[in-house]
Amino acid sequence: MNIEKFSDAIKYCRFCFMCRHLSGIGNVTFTEADTPRVRASMVYGATLRPETLTNEDLIRTMYRSDLSGACRRNCVHHFDEVGLTLAYRADIVNLGAAPEAIKAIAAELENWKDWTVSGSGKVVYVADQYSIDSGAAAAFGKLAGEFQTIQGGSCGKGLYVLGFHESAKKVAEKFVNVLSSTEAETIVVSNPAIYDMLVNTCPELGITVPGKVMHSTEFLAEVKCKPLGDIYYLESDFLRNYNDDYAAPKALLKANGANLHAFGTNDEESYSCAEGAVVLDKIEPALVEKLANYIAARADHPESDIIAVASPYTKVQLKKYTTLNVKTVEELLAEQL
Amino acid sequence: MIAERSSYMYEMIHTELIDALGAEFVNVRDVDRFGHSVDYYWIPEMWHDKGMETPKPDFVCHPSTTEEVAKVMKIANQYKIPVVPWGGGSGSQGGALPVYGGIIMDMKRMNKYYGVDKESMTVSCQTGIIAQHLEWNCNKEGFSTMHLPASISCATIGGFLAHRGTGVLSTKYGKIEDMVMSLEVVTPTGEIIRTLPVPRHASGPDLTMLFVGSEGTLGIITEVTLKVHPQPEKREFRAYIFKDFHTAMSAGAELMRSRLQPCAIRLYDETETKTHVRKVFGMDLDQGAYLVFGFDGYSDIVDCQMRYAREIMEKKYNGQDLGSKGGDLWWENKYKFFYPPYVFHVPQAYGTLDTVATFANIENVYHAMKKVVNENFPQARFIGHFSHWYEWGCMLYARFIFEKEDVPEDPREAAALYNRVWDLAIKAAIDNGGVINEHHGVGLKLGRFMKYLYGPAMPVLEKIKKELDPNHIMNPGKMGL
Repeated sequence: MNIEKFSDAIKYCRFCFMCRHLSGIGNVTFTEADTPRVRASMVYGATLRPETLTNEDLIRTMYRSDLSGACRRNCVHHFDEVGLTLAYRADIVNLGAAPEAIKAIAAELENWKDWTVSGSGKVVYVADQYSIDSGAAAAFGKLAGEFQTIQGGSCGKGLYVLGFHESAKKVAEKFVNVLSSTEAETIVVSNPAIYDMLVNTCPELGITVPGKVMHSTEFLAEVKCKPLGDIYYLESDFLRNYNDDYAAPKALLKANGANLHAFGTNDEESYSCAEGAVVLDKIEPALVEKLANYIAARADHPESDIIAVASPYTKVQLKKYTTLNVKTVEELLAEQL
Repeated sequence: MIAERSSYMYEMIHTELIDALGAEFVNVRDVDRFGHSVDYYWIPEMWHDKGMETPKPDFVCHPSTTEEVAKVMKIANQYKIPVVPWGGGSGSQGGALPVYGGIIMDMKRMNKYYGVDKESMTVSCQTGIIAQHLEWNCNKEGFSTMHLPASISCATIGGFLAHRGTGVLSTKYGKIEDMVMSLEVVTPTGEIIRTLPVPRHASGPDLTMLFVGSEGTLGIITEVTLKVHPQPEKREFRAYIFKDFHTAMSAGAELMRSRLQPCAIRLYDETETKTHVRKVFGMDLDQGAYLVFGFDGYSDIVDCQMRYAREIMEKKYNGQDLGSKGGDLWWENKYKFFYPPYVFHVPQAYGTLDTVATFANIENVYHAMKKVVNENFPQARFIGHFSHWYEWGCMLYARFIFEKEDVPEDPREAAALYNRVWDLAIKAAIDNGGVINEHHGVGLKLGRFMKYLYGPAMPVLEKIKKELDPNHIMNPGKMGL
C-alpha cells in the first residue's frame, strides 16, 4: 500500500491540531473531516480495519482535499499529510475503488488531445489550457524573444493527483517526448502545476526531463517595464509550498516597480482556489467557488485592488467566481511594457 | 445514539434540523460524526489508537447565526436531545465529546469578524472564529488580542471562553476572562441574551462570568467583545539558570511581588530543563532550573523594568544569566513543544496535571503531586514547569508520562491506570491548596473531582444548572454536572 510510506504522517498528524487554521477546505466547509488531523485519523482507522478503506464518505473526503501544502510548509517537522492523501488516492485506484465520477475525469485526462509544436528557438514554452485561458500565454509571447510553443496536450499532473499513477506516467512520457523533440535547452511554464510535474513528479515517476525547467517569471527576470505601482500578490501553492518558496514571481514584480502588499491577513494560508488539487474544479466545483469567495472576502478593496497571481489556474477560478481584478504576472508586465 | 438511524424518529429530527439550518449544514456522514468523536483528550485518542469505537454524535450542525443556534436549541429541547458545543475540538479534557450522542453544535461557521473599535480598543466577533484568524485580523488593524496560547491555531474564541483559556502573555494581559467585555449567549432553552456591555459595574452579580468557564453546560456563547491592545514597541526576554527549582521559584515569585509587570514568566524544573528545554531549544543545559521572563511596551520602560528584574535575578538569587538570546529562544520556540514529535504522543500515556495555587502553596502542591506519582507509579516520569504567573501565585503545568511498554495493551486497563494517576495526583493537589485547574478546563476528565474541589458550594452550581437547563441537554456528563 502506498499509504504505508507515510507512516509518520499517519502517526503524528492524526492527533495534531496545529495546522487547523490552514485547512483550506475545512475553512469553507467548517467540518472537522476536511482537516489533516481527521484525514490522517481516518486513514489510520482504515489500517486497522481494511474494509473501511473504501468507505464512500472517506473516499469523497480524501478527494476533496485542497492539497495546498500549507500544513506541511508551516509544520515544525513538515509532516507530509499531502503525500498521505495522494498515496491514499493511489491505493484507492489500485484497489479499483475509485468513484465513477473520478474515473470519468481520469478517462478524460488520459484521452486528452495531443500536444502540437510551433515556433523555433532553444526555448520551449508550455501553453496549457489555463495559461491560454488566463491570458498568461499571450502576455508571455509579448515579453519573451524567440521561442517554440507546445500547446493543447496534458502533462499528466491531473491524473497523478487523482491517483492514476500508471496513466499519469504514460501521459507524462508523451509530454516529455514532445518536449525532447523540440531540442530546446530551456522549458518555460506559466502554470506552476506543470512546473511541479516537471521538477518533482516526473523524477518520482522515473521520467527524465530534458533541459532546464523554469517558471515564466524566472525566465523573464531581465524584462523591464514601466513601474507597476500598488500590487497585491497571491502566492501559488505549487511554487511556495511545494518548491521551497520559489521567489521569482515576487522578485520580478519588485524589480519592475511593484509596491507589493500582503494579501489577506497572513502569509500562511492558501489563497489559490485549490491549485494543489489541480482538478478540484472538475470534482467539486462548488467547493472551488467557496474558496474563491473566501479569498474575495479577504481583499482590502475588492473592486479596485490589482491582484497578481503566478498561477493561471488561480486567475481562471477567481475570474469565474468573483469580481476581483486578477492578473497574471505576465499580463501585468506586458501591459506596462 | 438518540434513535436508530433507520427509525422514523431519527428522520423527523433530521428534517427539523434541516429546516433550521439547511441540508448542507446538518451533517450525518460517517466521516463528520467520526471527526467529532475524538478531541485532544488522551482517553479517546488511546481508544481510537486501539481500534475501539468512539462515541459519536447523531447530527453535526453548523449554524451561521445566533438565531440558528436558538432554533436548534428549541428543537433539542422539544426532543430532549443532548447538545454539545464544539469549537476547534482541541480541548484536552474531553469537554466537547458527544458522550451521549445527540447534536454537535460545531460553531466554526460562526466566524464573522466585526472589527476593532479603535476608540474603546475592543474587538467584536462571533465565537466560532479560530483564534489565529481573529488575531491576524486584529494585527492587520494594528492591534493584538494578546491572547496567544499554543492552541491559537486550532481553538476558537468560543472554546477559550468556555473553559477560561490562557495565553502565553497572561501575566501582563490576563486570562481570557480578564479580556472579555461582554457576551451574547443562547440559553439551553433557546433564549438569546446579552450580558452588560462593560465588565466593571455595580449592577449586581456578573452574568458574563456565569457563562465564561461554563464549558457549554449553561448555554452557548455566540458573540463576544474583547479588549485589544496596541502592538508593543519592544518585547524582550531574558533567561537564567538557577541552582535548583526552589531558588528559581523564589526568584520568580519575588519578580511578581515587585510589581514590575512582566508579560510572561516560565520556570522549568530540573528534569524538564534537562530534557525538554535542552531538546527543543538546543541549549546545553545539564543541571539547574531554567527561568525565562520578558517585558513589553515602550522601549525605555522595558529597559528600566528589565534592569530592576536583573537585579533580583542576579544579585539576590545568584542566577546564571543566559542573556536575551537565551530568553528569545524560548519566545521563538514557544509553540514548538506542541508540535509532533516533541509533544507527547499515543502510545505513550501522558497528562497535564494543571493546577494553580498561591505562592505560599505552589511548591507544596508540586512536591505533593510529584511524590504521589513517583511513589505509586514508579514507571512514570514526572516533569513540571510553571506557566502562568500572577501577583499572588502561579500555575503548575506538571506532567506524567508512561512510555509505551508501561501502558497496558488492553484499552480498559490503560484507561483505569490513567484515571488512577489523576485520582491520586489531583486529590494531593487539592489537599495542599491547589485548584484544578488554571486553563485546561474540567470537561469529562475532571468532572468527578468537582464535588471534592467545591465542597458545600457545589450544590450552588448544580442549582444554577438545573434552573437554566431543565431538560439537562447542554453538554451532559461534563464538569460534574
